[in-house]
Amino acid sequence: MIEINKVSKWYGSFQVLTDCTTQIAKGEVVVVCGPSGSGKSTLIKCVNGLEPIQQGNIAVNGTAINDPKTDLPKLRARVGMVFQHFELFPHMSIIKNLSIGQVKVLGRSEDEAHAKGMKLLERVGLKAHANKYPGEMSGGQQQRVAIARALSMDPICMLFDEPTSALDPEMINEVLDVMVELAHEGMTMMVVTHEMGFARKVANRVVFMDQGKIVEDAAKEEFFGQPRSERAQQFLSKILHH
Amino acid sequence: MFSNFDFGVIPLSLPFIWQGLLYSLKLTATAMTGGIILGTLLALARLSGGVVLGTISTFYVNTLRSIPLLMVILWFFFLIPIFTGSPMGAEKSAMITFTLFEAAFYAEIMRAGIQSVSRGQINAGYAIGMTYWQTMGHVILPQAFRNMLPVLLTQTIILFQDTSLVYAIGAKDLLKAAEITGKNYNRPVEMYIFSAVVYFAICFSLSMLVKHLNKRIAIIR
Ligand SMILES: Nc1ncnc2c1ncn2[C@@H]1O[C@H](COP(=O)(O)OP(=O)(O)OP(=O)(O)O)[C@@H](O)[C@H]1O
Ligand SMILES: [Mg+2]
Repeated sequence: MIEINKVSKWYGSFQVLTDCTTQIAKGEVVVVCGPSGSGKSTLIKCVNGLEPIQQGNIAVNGTAINDPKTDLPKLRARVGMVFQHFELFPHMSIIKNLSIGQVKVLGRSEDEAHAKGMKLLERVGLKAHANKYPGEMSGGQQQRVAIARALSMDPICMLFDEPTSALDPEMINEVLDVMVELAHEGMTMMVVTHEMGFARKVANRVVFMDQGKIVEDAAKEEFFGQPRSERAQQFLSKILHH
Repeated sequence: MFSNFDFGVIPLSLPFIWQGLLYSLKLTATAMTGGIILGTLLALARLSGGVVLGTISTFYVNTLRSIPLLMVILWFFFLIPIFTGSPMGAEKSAMITFTLFEAAFYAEIMRAGIQSVSRGQINAGYAIGMTYWQTMGHVILPQAFRNMLPVLLTQTIILFQDTSLVYAIGAKDLLKAAEITGKNYNRPVEMYIFSAVVYFAICFSLSMLVKHLNKRIAIIR
């Protein structure tokens, strides 16, 4: 579903990504972790072309992201993305947040989009909040809406960039629960997170990044059992004893 | 001293003054609408990162912001007939001049407004498949506009005051109407005072509105 092949990226003369290679098969859940500044956000943003790459190639569902002929907006419409800071549209009501993409990008009718939006709100347990504005909701609620917004586009895969790291601890689980449910339904997911509980529960593989390189790319059991690299071992012991 | 004044001239001159005020308001509304639209395009061009568009926009904005408005009004009025061969009415000429001039100021306000919206919002628009123009139109510009509303309005108050400069090319605005009636009835001082009061009343109410908006925006944030 997602193929990342020998990807390198520079910001000016600073190399953020070096020769990154990994694949995510349909229905697979891959957790990406690593220390701050290691390039996790950059890598995940390259997957739907929010950041350009200078070397290598990335394909989603067989479509090359870095091919100038690719209709990027069309491809992105099918790749759901959830951000660390939610990024709901603050000037729109919750239901409008869920319908705008359906109407403007997919060309659905207002009624159809509204109905689908309400169904998704129900699913994330926020049906009663449809007419509120993002600013009136807690972080956990906003992030659930953000997941619903991504789902409103009927994505073929989902990208998450630290979806719970900006949340108060008591709200983390309500968001993780939605993600676990998605994973169980067979959604293809690439998740940047340090929630190792989530990784143990649903991940198929764990990718560990350090200084722009993929240092470890292993099955979950292998990663948590005995990571090969010393950096990953140190990192794991640090966050597990936190 | 006020015993020499005869404010009885005001009711007599009202219909004519009203016509002048209408033109001043129309000029303000046109220059505001056109200026904000053109200014927003200039701001987008400047922020686009494109070398050609960025340079043109920056040059336009910086140049117009460095020339006195009165000179632009005069130039435009006297130069256009040289190029087109036929004079353009003072009223129409002023409308175009003000729109082009104010665009430079609105451009800077909109640029600050666009930059006040977080980069993540652009990514959020793109991530659900929106194009550049959709993202700007539905996500970024509404927020930029809302954040900058008090500043845009303040600029519009200044614009309304500046419309009195069209007096220099003989367009019949509020000030010109006051001058003409003042001459006709031989009561120039009374009429200048009256027009000042009208300018004041309008600008003062608008600035009260700005104050109110500032408070409301502080609450939303
Ligand atoms: N727009 C940019 N311009 C220049 N450098 C950047 C830019 N964005 C990120 N970087 C740098 O690239 C490196 C990787 O950043 P990135 O955000 O991908 O890291 P991360 O692994 O997501 O870290 P975190 O855990 O803090 O989110 C960092 O050193 C960062 O400073
Ligand atoms: Mg990050």
